[in-house]
Amino acid sequence: MEELNFDEMRNQITLLKQKLDHQDIVNDHLLRETMRNRMGTINFTKIKSYICAGMCIVLYPLLSVTGTFSNAFVITTCIMMLFCAFGTYYVHRPVDRMNLMTEDLASVAKVMAKFRKQYDQWLHYVTPALIIPWLSWAMYEFAWKNAPEGVNHWLFALPLLVGAAIGMVIGYAWHRKAVNAADNIIKQIEEEK
Amino acid sequence: MDIKEQEFSRMVREHKSTIYTVCYMFSNDEDEVSDLFQETLINLWKGFESFRHESKLSTWIYRVAMNTCISADRKKRKQGTKVPLSMNINLYNDEDHETKQVRQLHERIQRLDLVDRALVMMWLEGMNYEEIADVVGISVKNVGVKLVRIKEKLKQK
Repeated sequence: MEELNFDEMRNQITLLKQKLDHQDIVNDHLLRETMRNRMGTINFTKIKSYICAGMCIVLYPLLSVTGTFSNAFVITTCIMMLFCAFGTYYVHRPVDRMNLMTEDLASVAKVMAKFRKQYDQWLHYVTPALIIPWLSWAMYEFAWKNAPEGVNHWLFALPLLVGAAIGMVIGYAWHRKAVNAADNIIKQIEEEK
Repeated sequence: MDIKEQEFSRMVREHKSTIYTVCYMFSNDEDEVSDLFQETLINLWKGFESFRHESKLSTWIYRVAMNTCISADRKKRKQGTKVPLSMNINLYNDEDHETKQVRQLHERIQRLDLVDRALVMMWLEGMNYEEIADVVGISVKNVGVKLVRIKEKLKQK
């Protein structure tokens, strides 16, 4: 009789598990936790951008002192870096203001879609508009104007071009990381709908 | 979703009934079971990266679920941010025969203290003494002794 009692309990626990196996779990909290992790990637990209801009603002004036670049170029570069830092702040601001644990998911998806669009626009329009003239000017200053006489200008410009290429690859990787994180958040919200 | 998240989702899907059962047996109402369930999933997620597969996955899940349920500070949990968790089942109010059976089990297990609940649930699920000892952190012999006492308690009305 006693064993029967425990058998009954065993059957009941099996019954419970069978019932639960047929249920779908929609765990809003977990979803938001994973979204928060992805948001960390986006924030990290922002911080890296600020650090790069800060480093340029500190280091470029030194290049003016050594005579590598003119004062006008250094000042323009610093202004450009400040503009980029402000652009980053502007694009990230709605994302920073969002509280992922309480905000409704439709609003989160909307903010992330706007963020993604602005990030892409920045890459496709603002980056070339800034980089091409800046790099051309840098090459002129470094390899033509301030270069020693008799050197091959293009050969002298090569380190600058290689540096710029490496910088662009790194920048693009950061960009993709942030955009992918935003995409994943949007996709995850859509899957849960 | 990255690979880690996919793996985690798969794990949760496969073991959701175990996790929910543990939470249910440690709760007194639907809100409480949802809170515990959420908290267990978050703790599993936090520990998922460092899980080294030294023990069986099911044992690890049990351990995390038990620890969460036993050590949860209910007062604090109630004050936290509440985000609804949906599982289309109400084991406290549904009136079908199966749910009544489940409620009977719940009532029996609720008579026990927290650690005893954990032990008897694992025993009812067919886990061996070694696995139970591993989850609870006591010796195998002690598991046997405790289970005899628990069975005695359960027999008493």
